[in-house]
Amino acid sequence: MSEKNSLSNIEKIKQASDNLRGTIRESLHDAITGAIREDDQAVIKFHGMYQQDDRDRREERAAKKLDRLYSFMIRLRLPGGFVTPEQWIAVHDIAGENSTGVIKITTRQTLQLHGIIKSKIKPTIQAFSEAKLDSIATCGDINRNVLCSSHPKQSPIHKQVFAYADKISEMLMPKTKAYYEIWLDEEKLFDKKEEEDLLYQDRYLPRKFKIGIAIPPNNDVDVFANDVGLIAVIENEQLKGFNIAIGGGLSTTHGNAETYARLATVIGFADSEEKTLKTIYEIATIQRDYGNRSDRKLARLKYTLDKYGVEWFTKELEKRTGFALAPAIDYIFTDRIDYYGWQQNAEGLWYYTVFVENGRILDDETVALKSALLEVAKAGKANFRFTCNQNVIISDVKKTDKKIINDVLERFKIISHTEATSIVRKNSMACVAFPTCPLALAEAQRYLPSLITKIESILEKYQLLDDGIIIRMTGCPNGCARPYVAEIAFVGTGPGRYNLHVGGDRIGARLNKIYRENIDEAEILQSLDGLFKVYAADRYADETFGDFCVRQKWVTA
Amino acid sequence: MLTEPKLKILLNLIKGSGKEELIWMNGYISGIINGDVSVVEQKPVNSGSGKITIVYGTETGNSKRVATDLATKAKKNKLIVKLASLDQYRLTDLTKEENLLVVISTQGDGEPPVAAQKFYDHIHHNGFRLDNVKYSVLALGDTSYPLFCKTGEDVDAQLQTLGGKRIVPIQKCDLDYDTDAETWFNQVLQTLNDTVVDAPVIVKPVPQTGVKLNTKKIYTGTVLSNINLNDRGSEKETWHIELAAEDVDYLPGDSIGIVPENTLATVNAIIALAKINKDNPVKHKEVEYTVFDLLKKKANIQFLHERVIKKYAAIVQQDIPEIKMDLFDLLNIYPVKDDLQFAEVLEMLPTQSPRIYTIASSNAAHSGEVHLTVEKDVFVVNEENKIGVCSDYLTQLTGDATFEFFVQKNKRFKLPAADKDIIMIGPGTGIAAFRSFISERDATAATGKNWLFFGEEHFASDFLYQTEIQNWFETGVLSKVSLAFSKDTPGGVFVAHKIIENGKELYEWIQSGAFVYVCGEKTPMSVEVEKALLQVIETYSGLSASAALAYFEQLKAEGRYSKDVY
Repeated sequence: MSEKNSLSNIEKIKQASDNLRGTIRESLHDAITGAIREDDQAVIKFHGMYQQDDRDRREERAAKKLDRLYSFMIRLRLPGGFVTPEQWIAVHDIAGENSTGVIKITTRQTLQLHGIIKSKIKPTIQAFSEAKLDSIATCGDINRNVLCSSHPKQSPIHKQVFAYADKISEMLMPKTKAYYEIWLDEEKLFDKKEEEDLLYQDRYLPRKFKIGIAIPPNNDVDVFANDVGLIAVIENEQLKGFNIAIGGGLSTTHGNAETYARLATVIGFADSEEKTLKTIYEIATIQRDYGNRSDRKLARLKYTLDKYGVEWFTKELEKRTGFALAPAIDYIFTDRIDYYGWQQNAEGLWYYTVFVENGRILDDETVALKSALLEVAKAGKANFRFTCNQNVIISDVKKTDKKIINDVLERFKIISHTEATSIVRKNSMACVAFPTCPLALAEAQRYLPSLITKIESILEKYQLLDDGIIIRMTGCPNGCARPYVAEIAFVGTGPGRYNLHVGGDRIGARLNKIYRENIDEAEILQSLDGLFKVYAADRYADETFGDFCVRQKWVTA
Repeated sequence: MLTEPKLKILLNLIKGSGKEELIWMNGYISGIINGDVSVVEQKPVNSGSGKITIVYGTETGNSKRVATDLATKAKKNKLIVKLASLDQYRLTDLTKEENLLVVISTQGDGEPPVAAQKFYDHIHHNGFRLDNVKYSVLALGDTSYPLFCKTGEDVDAQLQTLGGKRIVPIQKCDLDYDTDAETWFNQVLQTLNDTVVDAPVIVKPVPQTGVKLNTKKIYTGTVLSNINLNDRGSEKETWHIELAAEDVDYLPGDSIGIVPENTLATVNAIIALAKINKDNPVKHKEVEYTVFDLLKKKANIQFLHERVIKKYAAIVQQDIPEIKMDLFDLLNIYPVKDDLQFAEVLEMLPTQSPRIYTIASSNAAHSGEVHLTVEKDVFVVNEENKIGVCSDYLTQLTGDATFEFFVQKNKRFKLPAADKDIIMIGPGTGIAAFRSFISERDATAATGKNWLFFGEEHFASDFLYQTEIQNWFETGVLSKVSLAFSKDTPGGVFVAHKIIENGKELYEWIQSGAFVYVCGEKTPMSVEVEKALLQVIETYSGLSASAALAYFEQLKAEGRYSKDVY
């Protein structure tokens, strides 16, 4: 069978989409349905949105002869997760007018809004555009939002490293003008040469492509979970370059043994900006040319890398870049955390990291987080940075302004809320799942908070409440909340049932393994109680839970 | 009477025919004898093989897409096809199907899609037989999962266990299902075609029972289902009521009349207040009832007319302001002296008058059933929210409740010949008549084009019959749908605006002979719609205002403009 014939349906849609235009305009005019046409559902991902529907309401609406309650999720492109106070106010207002009102910080440092109905997509994107925000390429088979270690106190040259996120994002942007034409009513392009795309051509990448930059010793971005991971090498406050790691990726499919989670492999060191960018670009072109385009479940870079081998890949890369990478330079990760509370960077600016459970910013019974952040933004004295653990850092506050910001945080009880939260809850993370995610098999963000409460009381029983165990939950095996690099993970298999994984390390450099399959809450709590009991009794000093699980051979690393 | 050869042909024919065919022949011949059969035509392709029902169980939408494509294809071939999602399919219809085609996917763990779970459970756990049902299954799946097409296999096996006859074996499809689906469907059609002898079909239905004209035959309907079509958050309640009622003689456009019963709570309250035995006999318009039956089923006891108030005042000899009042309030504020006075009051109560509802079903599509679209009528009397007696009664009926009704014919609101185009303007409950029209045209494979204008308050919560309208549009039965959701747009958009907006095309349709129908609210809707139609005619015909009016009048005279407004 020729490659052409075996192309997956999505590949055909991409190529026939006239540079990501599809029939989106026509779809927007189909008044009979809140959905867009099927092929367009694949195309709009490249414009940063997913069509979703409220799965809780399907059955009831079907009985009423009503179609599914469709709406759209729109995700911003924020390399390194940074917005100005003016931009935050814009997002706040747009969320109130056009979406569910909840602003969600994602696990990739960006913001997304849910529940936007078809007729509100255009006004939403136009309002974003006025605030100099866009959603280009935040979903789809293309380079996604680029991650970077979030906290400026991480290094005196954080700013220099952070700038790479923007540079990489710009370099890997698609050339098509479709986004501007469709959503911003810019003039239709007649000379298609203007948007000729040497990188993506007309087929884009075989699958999503993720890039993250870490500044050791903190691996807050989970650098090894990315298709391309950059590990900054800094000596004497000088950026020497980056170790390059490739082939990370966490998504798997239940029951499909050919799929697996994989950590990125370090293949060498690039000692200049030019070499770093060139290397990333050509990794993408190799994946474009050799990635699997017939089976989407086997299309990520990790499978390409394992199919052809690391040796072949580095040779091909060398051929394309015209230079060889230097041998990797030693690096060490010790943490994978956010720095909560007030912290200062090398320049003396102040930063307050607010705990945001599962990244959901809203005013609820316990805390008026959304109002508080609006108030902070209105003061105009702080930027906003988002972390890969779905928290927000109120950033770049001058010493003279710190009191003003602190007063707002005190008044809205943000400080007491952050301080009162247990470390295990702060380190936990869940994906969206029900009711909007079409892939979800089980609950995640709606359920994890209550499960954590139950886990907290077990930890308390064994005096482990100060142990920063990393717990993550996803509603399916696709890995959005990076469960396979957690110390404890719950991966949804069906309503109320999860696979329990243990044995990942604390720094995200070892994958966990399945310990119990398809269990419910009672069995989860019972299992954890047993494990924590032994851990509390027999651990070495400073031994983390993940390491202990491996030493006990509960799972094999 | 017949010569030997003729008799032999007849006997052979009878011998080789099934019961349904015999019934049909019986009707056909009696039609000829009565001279009713004006048109006899050979039905195209093999629709003599009976109706096809395609049901689908979908999670991701693939099964729906395949099923819709197949239904569209079949309709293009003039086959009579019903298409339904399994979460909207009435499971009790299963035993009545002739040819059932199931398109169903399998979830990761070999489970059925959520939307098909009830169907799946129903066929596995309920004791019934499908001996008269022919079926075939198209199973969608993904070979990368171990339990490939498991649900399809289960359904296929279980339908056989229940006595169903396989038309062709199950077809299992991987992710690239298009070709396999089409091949399977062609085999199904081929097999059906081979096994059935085409028969001539009479276009005009032959009356099956001797319904006398000019007397309103009373039918009894049993509620099959009663659902509020409006979603949560809507300010409206519009109930879709399905009744089982055999052999009801009606055509699309007709209505039914129902005498509502008063609520038990109100009746009991009155009886308690009057301190009277509910089984006491009482006379009303020369007929004897028990007090209870009279109050419950026969008499009007709410919002009594000023005229009735006056009579009441005379009986109890008190001054009562002449405003609309309920019997309960009258008795409460201006009590009767004794049982005798109460009997007098009962006797003068007006008889409950029937309420008329446009039928929302078609005999061709929903045989043995009558469907209604009833809006819960909430209005204000003396600054108090009241609910219309009949809509209150109907919308609270639950499964298996029965009530009597008669058919109210509407000769001036009828479908034209099958090949004529129609434009239907039916916002709100006006959709009822057009659900009947479209169902009829769909079930009889009428060739005329159909254009629907519908309007309501909100798209998300008030799009009545949305999934049915979508199915008709996707399968080409509706060639155009124009929608106006008034509260979704600042300033409000109504069907009249949509008529103006589509003026050019609308005028072309009318010029090409299309019939125009308006159903629903009299004011302001039908007034605004007529204004808009006039404006369209004037704009696109180039005629003067008076000539355009004459053109419009001509349409009415030709029976090409009809309305059923209330």
